[in-house]
Amino acid sequence: MSKLISLTIDGRAVEVPEGSTVLTAAQKLGITIPTLCFLAGVKENKPSCMACVVRINGDARLVPSCSTKVTQGMTVASETAEVKAARKAAMELLFSDHLGDCISVCQRVCPARLQIPAVIRLVAAGQMREAIAVVKENVVFPGVMGRICRAPCQNGCRRSKYDGAVAIQLIEREVANQDAAAKERFVPTCNAPTGKRIAIVGAGATGLSAAFFLLKSGHACVVFDDHAEPGGQMRHGFSEADLPRAVLDGEIAIIQRMGLEFRLNTRLGRDVSLAELRRDFDAVVLAVGSLQKTDPAALGVEATERTIRIDAANFQTSVPGVFAGGTAVRSGYDPSRSVGDGRILAECVDHYFAGKPMQIVRQPFTSTIPKLSAEEYMQLAKGSNAALSVRELITTAEQAAGRCCHCDCRSANNCKLHHFGELYGADPRAFAGEHRRRFEFIRQPGGVLFEPGKCISCGICVELASQAQETLGLTFVGRGFDVRIAVPLNRSLEEGLERVGELCVKHCPTSALTFEEDRRNMTKG
Amino acid sequence: MAHDESKQAMTPESLNRFLEQLLARTGRGREATIPILQGIQREYRHLPEATLQRVSELTGIRLADLIGVATFYHQFRLREAGRHSLRVCHGTACHVKGAENIHDAVNRQLQLPENGDTTPDKMLTVERVACLGCCTLAPAVQIDESTYGHLTPANIGAMVEDFLGARNLAVADVDSIQHHQDNRRQGEIRVGLGSCCMAKGSDALFHSLRQTVKDFAIDVAVKRVGCVGMCHQTPIVEVRLADGANAFYSKVGPEEALRIVRRHFRPLSIRRQLTGWLDHTLDGWVNPNGESKQNGRAALDFAGKPVVSFLSRQVRIATEGFGEMDPLDLDEYISQKGFVALGQVLGGKPEATIAAITASGLRGRGGAGFPTGVKWSRMRAAVSPDGIKYVIVNGDEGDPGAFMDRMLMESFPFRVIEGMLIAAASVGANEGYIYVRAEYPRAVSRLREAIRLLEARGFLGEKVMGSSFRFRVRVFEGAGAFVCGEETALIKSIEGHRGIPQLRPPYPVESGLWGRPTLINNVETLSMVPWIIRHGAAAFAALGTEKSKGTKVFALAGKVDRTGLIEVPMGITLREIIEDIGGGVPGGKRLKAVQVGGPSGGCIPAALCDIPVDFEALAAAGSIMGSGGLIVLDEDDCMVDVARYFMSFLQKESCGECTFCRIGTMRMLEILDRLCAGKGLRADLDDLRQLAALTTQGSICGLGRTAPNPVLSTLRHFLDEYEAHIAGRCPAGKCKALVQYVVQDHCTGCTICAQHCPVGAIPAAPYRRHEIDTALCTRCDVCRVDCPENAIAIVSGGSPCTGHSRKESRPQPLAHHE
Repeated sequence: MSKLISLTIDGRAVEVPEGSTVLTAAQKLGITIPTLCFLAGVKENKPSCMACVVRINGDARLVPSCSTKVTQGMTVASETAEVKAARKAAMELLFSDHLGDCISVCQRVCPARLQIPAVIRLVAAGQMREAIAVVKENVVFPGVMGRICRAPCQNGCRRSKYDGAVAIQLIEREVANQDAAAKERFVPTCNAPTGKRIAIVGAGATGLSAAFFLLKSGHACVVFDDHAEPGGQMRHGFSEADLPRAVLDGEIAIIQRMGLEFRLNTRLGRDVSLAELRRDFDAVVLAVGSLQKTDPAALGVEATERTIRIDAANFQTSVPGVFAGGTAVRSGYDPSRSVGDGRILAECVDHYFAGKPMQIVRQPFTSTIPKLSAEEYMQLAKGSNAALSVRELITTAEQAAGRCCHCDCRSANNCKLHHFGELYGADPRAFAGEHRRRFEFIRQPGGVLFEPGKCISCGICVELASQAQETLGLTFVGRGFDVRIAVPLNRSLEEGLERVGELCVKHCPTSALTFEEDRRNMTKG
Repeated sequence: MAHDESKQAMTPESLNRFLEQLLARTGRGREATIPILQGIQREYRHLPEATLQRVSELTGIRLADLIGVATFYHQFRLREAGRHSLRVCHGTACHVKGAENIHDAVNRQLQLPENGDTTPDKMLTVERVACLGCCTLAPAVQIDESTYGHLTPANIGAMVEDFLGARNLAVADVDSIQHHQDNRRQGEIRVGLGSCCMAKGSDALFHSLRQTVKDFAIDVAVKRVGCVGMCHQTPIVEVRLADGANAFYSKVGPEEALRIVRRHFRPLSIRRQLTGWLDHTLDGWVNPNGESKQNGRAALDFAGKPVVSFLSRQVRIATEGFGEMDPLDLDEYISQKGFVALGQVLGGKPEATIAAITASGLRGRGGAGFPTGVKWSRMRAAVSPDGIKYVIVNGDEGDPGAFMDRMLMESFPFRVIEGMLIAAASVGANEGYIYVRAEYPRAVSRLREAIRLLEARGFLGEKVMGSSFRFRVRVFEGAGAFVCGEETALIKSIEGHRGIPQLRPPYPVESGLWGRPTLINNVETLSMVPWIIRHGAAAFAALGTEKSKGTKVFALAGKVDRTGLIEVPMGITLREIIEDIGGGVPGGKRLKAVQVGGPSGGCIPAALCDIPVDFEALAAAGSIMGSGGLIVLDEDDCMVDVARYFMSFLQKESCGECTFCRIGTMRMLEILDRLCAGKGLRADLDDLRQLAALTTQGSICGLGRTAPNPVLSTLRHFLDEYEAHIAGRCPAGKCKALVQYVVQDHCTGCTICAQHCPVGAIPAAPYRRHEIDTALCTRCDVCRVDCPENAIAIVSGGSPCTGHSRKESRPQPLAHHE
């Protein structure tokens, strides 16, 4: 039994065996210090990422806790503001040379947050039923949006810089069409009733989207609208050719099947007052659309000019329990944004009921790939399975899906850099610079996929290969900023990783090493 | 030297034969990795894949490890190289004297393919080197082993021609000549043969003198001596007569050997004398009055003020015997009290030696200034699991602008080893390495020869000086990595790994080379040790300041009249060094700052130059003592550019292991690049400070932690220059993106600029004022330097950069040696 060493971390005393690291001591106290390059039993005493730094005995320098041995009476500062700022900065520097999108651009720019890459992969695999389920996690009107949304996703698509964007809107529409043609349409399962009732004013995209998600949460919803039919702008702003009414009716019918009630031909301020709604319901959502023809005063909430004033943090109006969103709180109609607002409103109301403060996450945490060179776009295009490069040839959703380069992260849910970066509130663009890694795919069909652009040069894989006595293994090539990890003599990944490929994928702290086929359906964002 | 073409043809048999021989010499263990790769590189000028695979098979060293090491060190290349290697020095002194322009001119001259470094005919491969350590020749270029100094963009063509023309002239290596002491002669002629002196032709002079003496049968020894220190005067010859009288000659060409010899010595036979006289009279150049036929080559007046000023403030401890001793003459070293100190130490108690070193106040001269005695006593107390302890001499002098250690190893190899032996005997170590950087081949060869001589005479080996002390030492050649000057990286390098610094503790004295206690001292530190033992700790401690004792060797270079290698007592002020020893800034220009301590150091502004040379005083001024490079900067030097220069150096030399240094230095460099390009923003300065603070606090090794120093010191003392760059002006007229070359009204239309412009940016307009096409102009400075009327001005931000209105002295002619 080795001697015990006592020390304090952030003022808390702890005892660990002699020879232990500060990291171990911190773990014993339940303090989570971020580590990226450290792997117990494999890569110890070779610190590189510096995400685990601590300050020892008030020393000017910061040391990596993973490799610093405890000494008797040591005082460690771990969770202090300045130590945490340094850890955050270390991660931000790593992000500045981490060429990856945690979330693909298409999904990031979609106001409704449609999980585009996941949907595309399901479509490509012919799993249309699974695809509609994933679509409906965010978008209540895929048939409608597949026809009328402005498709910013396609402008954002990285392939658009190479040979034209993937026809994402076509894919969404096809998924919806197939659902509509199915014997039984997809209806999401609702949670057990909560007993809460919500009045939603306005049966447009915002109101109906809010209703959909609130119903899913188990709340009862009544939608008020002064028109005779629900749909708002979707019904009244588009021609039958652009948006067949049957598509809209079909998608609204699904919400009704989830339990939605309508009070049509009912106008707020004329037929019913906000006070009445507040009296009869647990919460009110105002999704009344443009206030151009409405007297804001009649609504009963504070409004400026032509928009309802809301707290940007939780979409709440000047009246407690009354929320507003969609075109009523901004100028200009954007159907996909309205759909997205509906989902956020539902979330805000849920938080309101739970008594939790709501902070709208406008952009989910993500690293972003900066502008790529023409050469890099060619590399990126290698990520797609299809050689199809002319948009005109694409007629089916499967064909379109085949053109996706899958630039989203294969393992953002398993990425330590993402996890700790988000936890520490890192800004991935904080230290963005001109020099960075190149975009590159090194693939082994059906096997390990290596994206050197995402590598943070931690060397865990090099160690794993070396310890397993791989014949070739991996090595560091070069030094300094340009140091890279590669198979010696540019041999293939299969030759380098004969034994430890799976282990390397498992322990890679980013998504630089992943399995080509094992792509989880991302639900982030 | 150039290799045989035949060696290029590699067959499996020839490869096996070669590798077997190589491995027999280097061994097959992991620690042989670097020597093996060096052997292959010497043979093939690059590392062919097939050789690496075969080495892996023969030694069991994994290919991954071979590649990891081969790609870490600059010396190795995996791509084929040209038959000759041309290295453009980008040391600090060369940088401030226009290395970038020289590099551009080289690329233009050789018409290198885009993204390539080798000429299409595979004649020359152009490389960029951090520092050749010939700072007094700046700007300098090395082609194979020939060094060319004081270059201008205009004479690059002549340099290449000279090299290609002269490379077939084989000249015996100066170190291959055997010496023997003979005091009965008429006298001796001493020629300084440090690397810098040789770069300026002193070896050719040496051979010429020997030939002359032989031809005329004059009984006088022509003797090579180490560095003379007065680099601004080389080649330098000292004639010492039997009666003790002496005379010095500076800047001597080989053709002047006869004149010097004839002036002082008489031939043995009348016939010889007559023949010689006739021969050379016919040649028609001997001047019987002994007057110089060329300017600047007169006898150097050692009583004159410049020499007195240069020498009188100096104190010789590490450089004792400066310009007098043959580096490889062991008898002479012994006759000059060599090994007296070691004898004393071996006869006494180790504790007493350590106590003396402690009492002397000696601090490590490698940069950090750690008390040497303390390190030795910890090392003595350290217990090795198997009893083996090591002493390593750190001769990996990597700071651009520093060449003190090279000079000491080249000129005083016996002293370095004596210091090492004293250390080893005191701390109980029996094995050691002298780690010498790759760029110092002459230091390596002289140390190896010195070791051979010492082993033969019983100063190294089983019974050192007949005592029971046993010591074995090997020279380890570095492979081109600045970071290996960091002691833990140096150890990794000897062990055969990538030179990645390790987190300390444990310190090397606890767990160093192969996990055993290891004492690492700098070359200069150990060179001081024999003197301290002989003269006593008190004599050493009597010199210097309260906390900084003894002397310090500096390499004085940059914008100073008398460049050279100097040893001065601690406590002397920087201004005394620059003004008294160095003779001030040439050309009547204004001193702006002095860069002290190399990449980890800082720039001390002229106003603060009255501070003493003292570890603490320099630190307080935002610099460090460092290893001892002093680069003097004048008003033509841009401090933002200097900061960028060092950041660029450090960024390239970062090992790449820890985040703050690997990425932080790159982000800082990008900001500095933006500033120098006139694209900087005020917010950039905050970012610089933030990144600097992070890198200082969070890097693993000293290189990373001190990397921001040049930025921080210039931000502290020269913030106005940063602000000027943000406003779009480079006050010194240095940053190319911010300056324009403008022909002034007094242009006489002589067309010289038009003829010399390498990019045709100046149309010839005889007798009229010329115009420079700013779009074509590359700011190479050729026109301004060559204009006889001084009519070309550098303008930045709408106003002229005044420093450049005064003309620098004309560069000296080319020099070369083979």
